[in-house]
Amino acid sequence: MARRKKVQVWVGTRKGGYVVEGDSERRKWTVKPPFHADKEVFRITADPRHPGTAYVAANSGWWGPSMFRTRNGGKSWTEISVPGTPRLKARSPPVESPSAQFPIKNLWQVVPGPTSAPRTVYLGADPGLLFRSDNEGASWTPIAALNEHPTRPQWNPGAGGMCLHTILIDPDDARRMYVGISAAGAFRSDDGGEHWTPKNRGVEAPFLPDRFPELGQCIHKFAFDSADASTLYRQDHGGIYVSHDRGDRWVRIGKSLEDDFGFVTATAPSLPGEAFFIPLQGISRTMLGNQFQVYRWSDRSRHWGALVPKGRWPGDYGMHRDGMATDSLDPAGVYVGTTTGQLFWSRDGGRSWNLVPYQFPGIHSVDVGISDRS
Amino acid sequence: MVEVHLDSMLSQFVARRHLTTSAGSVGALLDDLEARYPRLRHRLRDESEAVRPFVKIFVNGREVRPRGDGGPTLGPRDEVDILHSIQGG
Repeated sequence: MARRKKVQVWVGTRKGGYVVEGDSERRKWTVKPPFHADKEVFRITADPRHPGTAYVAANSGWWGPSMFRTRNGGKSWTEISVPGTPRLKARSPPVESPSAQFPIKNLWQVVPGPTSAPRTVYLGADPGLLFRSDNEGASWTPIAALNEHPTRPQWNPGAGGMCLHTILIDPDDARRMYVGISAAGAFRSDDGGEHWTPKNRGVEAPFLPDRFPELGQCIHKFAFDSADASTLYRQDHGGIYVSHDRGDRWVRIGKSLEDDFGFVTATAPSLPGEAFFIPLQGISRTMLGNQFQVYRWSDRSRHWGALVPKGRWPGDYGMHRDGMATDSLDPAGVYVGTTTGQLFWSRDGGRSWNLVPYQFPGIHSVDVGISDRS
Repeated sequence: MVEVHLDSMLSQFVARRHLTTSAGSVGALLDDLEARYPRLRHRLRDESEAVRPFVKIFVNGREVRPRGDGGPTLGPRDEVDILHSIQGG
């Protein structure tokens, strides 16, 4: 008999973070009390290398950015350092900042390193900054080759700032990495971050005079195919794309939709060759059809499917770029948090959907961690 | 001595609301506060020493922003209030 798992859905909101707990059946959920409720939690990332460990990237207009780590599934939290900003208890003597040239406005993304480097964590920040920690967030090293990239003067902030919001590490080759910066585009490194090359060919930037520039695209999110890391799915300001050659060329796949503007994409280990998107109306930034709706792209049949029955949840729902996540179970769980505080979930790869009966603050991010039940 | 008044939000970092300093400028005042109360460091100013957006500094009731040279200057009878502007929502 399979051992029962604990599934933790980590929800970052405008007013703190939440963990929503269920088991591998994923039928009932318990919403635990919020933590860090005085901060905007942009991101909570579970670390699958260390079940029960998660990182929080929080921001505050009053206090600036801060980071926290739990090793026990959210029962307790330890403040860890922000680049250039040591943790509270260690602020004497002052520490010189490695990033003072580009002060951090907001933290956006935390990503565990490869399994071969179990204490490594990557951090993405506004304005267009990437950092690596090799000691689980006790200190950070700026990735200078990207942070001081020669094209940086051509980067511009999107509406959410010049956020480095996506960090992907190739599961087949940990030295190959990708980042997404709004509005600079996607970059790839094949040598562990020593060199970075823009990877935006074929992606339209409808807001620029040159509609297909080398960089300047407002990338919103991208993800690996779960079985083939040379295939990536990409949601840009200027449409939905797929690449089958590690980002060298992108082909638009969203044109048949009513609109292919949007912020999110996600893939699931049990669904190779498929990707979830939530396209939005370009003017209002709300879901198509004036209802909660998720679309699944099949890269084999090259077809789109709308997953939520018409009229199931009418309304005008918005999404932030980290608002969708999947789990590693089979069938896949899919989780969607909205800017109006609803958390939808599917336990069968998107075939049926439910709503967690809790009104969250506006949701910035969703992630999922799975551990053995204790 | 310059009298400094801190708002209640700062009480999580500094155990007192009122204190004095001999700093001769607003920039020196912030340096002095951060040196005496390290937990304040990076809370009033970011890592480039720019005052954070919602931190407001008043000298004798007039709002000031520190300049690159550390000014405005402070005199022995000045009163400084450090407040956090309230943002709704």
